[in-house]
Amino acid sequence: MKLDPDTLDGWSTQLDWGEQLLWSARMESDRVRAIENQSRPQLEITELLQTRAHEIGALAFALTGSTARAQRTKISDLDYHVIGPRPPHSDLPDDVDVYATDEVGMWRKLNQGDDFIQWTLRYGCVLFDTGVFQAAMQRMSNAGLWPTSDQKFSRLDGHIRLARRLIAMGDRDAAQDQVRATLTSLARALLLQARVFPRARFELPLQLHEIGAGELGSTLLETICEEPELNALGRALDLAASLVPEKPADSPLRSAG
Amino acid sequence: MSPKAKAELASDHLEVARDDLDGERMGDALNALFYASEAAVVALAEEHHIDTKKNHRLKASAAKELFEKGILDKDFSTLLRELNQGRKDHWYEGEEPDIDLEEAYAEVEILVDAAQGEDE
Repeated sequence: MKLDPDTLDGWSTQLDWGEQLLWSARMESDRVRAIENQSRPQLEITELLQTRAHEIGALAFALTGSTARAQRTKISDLDYHVIGPRPPHSDLPDDVDVYATDEVGMWRKLNQGDDFIQWTLRYGCVLFDTGVFQAAMQRMSNAGLWPTSDQKFSRLDGHIRLARRLIAMGDRDAAQDQVRATLTSLARALLLQARVFPRARFELPLQLHEIGAGELGSTLLETICEEPELNALGRALDLAASLVPEKPADSPLRSAG
Repeated sequence: MSPKAKAELASDHLEVARDDLDGERMGDALNALFYASEAAVVALAEEHHIDTKKNHRLKASAAKELFEKGILDKDFSTLLRELNQGRKDHWYEGEEPDIDLEEAYAEVEILVDAAQGEDE
């Protein structure tokens, strides 16, 4: 069976992922995509980490984040999602970021409306799986799970406060880092609230334009691609603060379909 | 930004971290310690022509290189990685990081002192 994800929306949640043939076809497609989207050194890191994860008893391993969507920027990490113990990676170069959780934690996050596990299931390249990612994909699709935006909104006040502190101290580099993270988090929350699943960070500005939040999109893009001065970063935070709902609307965990 | 400015910033962040720790604002302290350690490493790295490209991971790698070149007496790369992961876990995942912040403060203080010493 030849199968490919939708270029924009990733793997469909309208399929019966309990079908073994379907899941096998997805994994084969993911493996091809992972090879296409990585440089040779990145592929070597991925193969090494995958082997280590397997050796220490991980249940599943996926390449996730911007690399999985071929949307890397100069600030992108090389992201992995592991179900099981975190494979050692302190000897690996550069920007390797391994998120590891046990199976109980994965189910808790999925059922509580966490967006990262859903992101990996939709857009990630699943490189090995003992069945836990397949079961999670099946559950997400069958139950129509949709991530909640409430937690992201509720954390934004703290993010904005920290960013303002860095601006006041005059640390432009640190302030840009914190402002970019704040805008990214706000962008994801607004998109989820608008029933649009956020893609990789570099794709968020266009998605924001599509839901009528173009100013935030343009501002986020500046913090990704340019080096704004401190006063511009301050204005970015003013914009972010103006877009945070006073009391976030409840975001149901089930999608409209 | 010049190395001198980064060394000063490192010291400023460390001072803020002390206030946060004394005020039991642990999440804030974690952030301040992270930025203090990064600013100190960048100050030293720039002085010794090691490129960090404004990338967190490369700053950790720079800390290791500074140790290997004998500029620092200790490899602080693990500390930088743990502080980076810890602040992400705290501020974005709502998880409590498994880091002793007083111990981390003592380590970062050594790093900041080294950056300031180099600056004098």
